[in-house]
Amino acid sequence: GTQPKGSSSSGKPEPSEKRRSEETGISQKQVDDSKQFSLSYRDPSKYPDEFESVVLGGAEAAMKLHPAVLKLGYRYATGEVREENARCRAMMEAFVQVVEDFQPAKAGSDARNQFVQDVLKPSFTYWTEKCRPHSMSGMGNAFSFLKSAVATLDRDMELAEVKTVLKETIQAYVRERIDFADMAIAKNAAEKIVDGDVILTYGDSEAVRVLLQETIATTSKKFRVIVVDSRPLLEGKTLLKELRRANVECTYILLNALSFVMNQVTKVFLGAAALMSDGSVVSRVGTACVALAAKAKGVPVLVCGETYKISNRVYLESITSNEMGNPQDVLQGELGPNLRVINLLYDLTPSEFVSGIVTEMGILPATSVAVLLREMNPQDTDSAFAS
Amino acid sequence: AAMNALLGVVERTSANTMMGLQDELKEASQVMLEWNNQNTSRSTIPLASGCELFLKYITRTFLELPDFDQCRQEILERGKRFAGISLAARDRVATMSHEFVQEGQTVLTHGWSRVVAALLLKAAETKHFDVVILEGRPDAAGAKAAQFYAKAGIQTTLILDSAMGYIMETVDIVLVGAEGVVENGGIVNKMGTYALATCARSHDKPFYVAAESYKFARLYPLNQRDLPMKQTSLDFVDTAIWQATGGQVGKDNTVPGKVELSSNVKVDNPTCDYTPAKFITLLFTDLGVLTPSAVSDELIRLYQ
Repeated sequence: GTQPKGSSSSGKPEPSEKRRSEETGISQKQVDDSKQFSLSYRDPSKYPDEFESVVLGGAEAAMKLHPAVLKLGYRYATGEVREENARCRAMMEAFVQVVEDFQPAKAGSDARNQFVQDVLKPSFTYWTEKCRPHSMSGMGNAFSFLKSAVATLDRDMELAEVKTVLKETIQAYVRERIDFADMAIAKNAAEKIVDGDVILTYGDSEAVRVLLQETIATTSKKFRVIVVDSRPLLEGKTLLKELRRANVECTYILLNALSFVMNQVTKVFLGAAALMSDGSVVSRVGTACVALAAKAKGVPVLVCGETYKISNRVYLESITSNEMGNPQDVLQGELGPNLRVINLLYDLTPSEFVSGIVTEMGILPATSVAVLLREMNPQDTDSAFAS
Repeated sequence: AAMNALLGVVERTSANTMMGLQDELKEASQVMLEWNNQNTSRSTIPLASGCELFLKYITRTFLELPDFDQCRQEILERGKRFAGISLAARDRVATMSHEFVQEGQTVLTHGWSRVVAALLLKAAETKHFDVVILEGRPDAAGAKAAQFYAKAGIQTTLILDSAMGYIMETVDIVLVGAEGVVENGGIVNKMGTYALATCARSHDKPFYVAAESYKFARLYPLNQRDLPMKQTSLDFVDTAIWQATGGQVGKDNTVPGKVELSSNVKVDNPTCDYTPAKFITLLFTDLGVLTPSAVSDELIRLYQ
């Protein structure tokens, strides 16, 4: 067995790992295996002291993390905040509070650098190593934005003004890259919806929800929606509730009934957690199945993603950097030494199954996501051919 | 021609501000589009995209020269060059891409396209090759094109549209023009192009499209129904019967062999269809030879 990631450097399992192995009967090998994934699921109710220290103080608090950071970490760990946009919003909200309360430790030294090194980075590291890996891309991009916003602040500004400017910058990012972006996506995608459409969607994506709500509210187009859902999260119920409230004719099915309805579907709208630079889409597990089934029936698949979710990476398959949820959600009870329960949260949809990606900039072919990335970050284009 | 009309508007404008001028130009574009819709069966896509590009070009000029009168002068000068560039685009396509037609090949084409004609004529200067043309119902576009190529000294064969599958095994490359090039790298062209493209794909023949860059349109069709398409009327004639009469029209101006349809027969005849990007091998444009996925790249830049 190779060194499990994240364990102590001695290679011996940490006390919490050993305890988990003893209690759940999973062999140490399986625990080590499961560390292939970015983070095995940590159940707060099973390891209360670990998470107690998170909220009340202990090792983490000793790191001088802001209470807002610790509180959000707990919410990430329990899965209370799960959807991509929600995670990013919550992170930015926490940072607003952190900015407000920041006091430079040493007078006269570069407060900005201190802020980034001693406050921002430890917070982010804490979230991604102890609580949940950061979302596929959006949170990472937002965090990079924040770091560069701090770095480009005017050197001569007073601390109070710095704080005001930073807070406004953070809030503007959320407003522009998420809220306004969703409205622009709704407008761009609504043009594709015609009377008589049967629209299929999967799970609960904020962009798709806003798109459907806006189309209903601002146009008189008549369409019906098929909401596909899956265990264990059953996130589609949230979307279903919203659509029922708006009096949209809905059908609700679980993923295993997909092939039954696909004949009737005219368009598929899906959400995204991240848009990889080769055009593949990371989204809630099950999305790839929906896209595949739609492609097999010649139904166009439109993925709605805000540009802040664009990543400059490429994933070759679904396992690397994926996240795991609570295995007990999938299968309860004593599992025994020969059974491994895997509760993955994301999967990768190849670009061939995606007819178009709807962003706030318009509808693009999946292969052009990288172009957008380049256009948005011309300073990062490091080309030998640059004129 | 549309460019010249818009330039004329700029010249004769009585507006004093950029906003006023833009409004006049938009109105002029609308008038042209409506005229095109009502009086021709050609697609409005190249006209619409050409006008939009021209407007964007003007806006960009204004950003550089905020003074209105200066801006107007600059636009008129640049505009004259721009219009010339568009016409010269065809020649650029021909010069850059005629080498894709090789000695001794058989080229299959569809419809009448001036760009394709320019390309093939250029190729014919240095090579011998054959051209096979689909008849091009209902406007006999292919037949007219065949006349043109034959007169230019190129060995030409005419076939029925429905014979494209039959002929495909003898063909080396397929080359068509485009009414419009859409954002995902697909094209909108005369009805029959999509079928031709799928046929070429299944025979592993390269499918090339020749199109000037002003035809790049801000459309993203998801499928055939997702296009704004005009319907035209259609007559159905058994030409064998008609030919048996010696090509005469009967008394009361009836056409022998014409099938009279009852009113409950629906006729679906859009002028154009949409060919998705995956069927297209390469696009020959005045911006260079592009793969379909590069079209989006160019579009993002053109419309930025």
